[in-house]
Amino acid sequence: MSAIDHYINAIMEEGAAEAREDGSAATEAHHLLLALAAHEGTAAYRVLTTAGFGRQAIREALDREFEHSLDAVGVNLTAFDLPKPSPAPEPPKMGASARLALERGFAASTGKKDLRPAHLLLGVLGAEIGAVPRALALAGVNRVDLMARTRQTLAGETW
Amino acid sequence: MPAQDIPVPQDPADALAAVAALRHLADRLEDAAVEQAMRAGWGWPDVAEALGVTRQAVHKKHAKRLIAAGVTLRRRR
Repeated sequence: MSAIDHYINAIMEEGAAEAREDGSAATEAHHLLLALAAHEGTAAYRVLTTAGFGRQAIREALDREFEHSLDAVGVNLTAFDLPKPSPAPEPPKMGASARLALERGFAASTGKKDLRPAHLLLGVLGAEIGAVPRALALAGVNRVDLMARTRQTLAGETW
Repeated sequence: MPAQDIPVPQDPADALAAVAALRHLADRLEDAAVEQAMRAGWGWPDVAEALGVTRQAVHKKHAKRLIAAGVTLRRRR
């Protein structure tokens, strides 16, 4: 397997672990974003951390987006204090938003040999609707600017 | 909260995000509540009746997770 195959497998596994951690039945695009931000040594990691949007900041932004979305219909998350359920033993399925993010990432490259972590980040950031763009907006992060910075790395960085 | 008091977001994006968040919250609540009930000694038929689903459905959805978590499940009566 090539380096990018190993990387994609790692991101899928780490994304699935993030999904299990927050009790999701499926791995979604925002779980992949958390995985991309946690995997050091790539241009995707550098773009996110340089923008002040590392794994922890993303987790906090996603939590805020969740609370904000519930608040819009009068549901206060602090009213629920049931114990955290045990995670499912089987890995979560791949969700629709994660599938779309990967497809966009693959399409952003000129082919398998060109495919790099930054392309996957572009795929995740490319969504205009959903938890990722809403969390970015709530955190005051300019999604389009972040995508532009990600594209810039593709010209000068190999990985 | 009476139904007429539930705010309806004016922006479709907010309304749809609220639906997604409510589904996720409901799933988490169901996982936690079923586990809480089974740890307290409830049986599958009672949990199923409380959730308004069949016993088979609730068993299929939660049994593996609870067994993996070491929860002692009551045998069928």
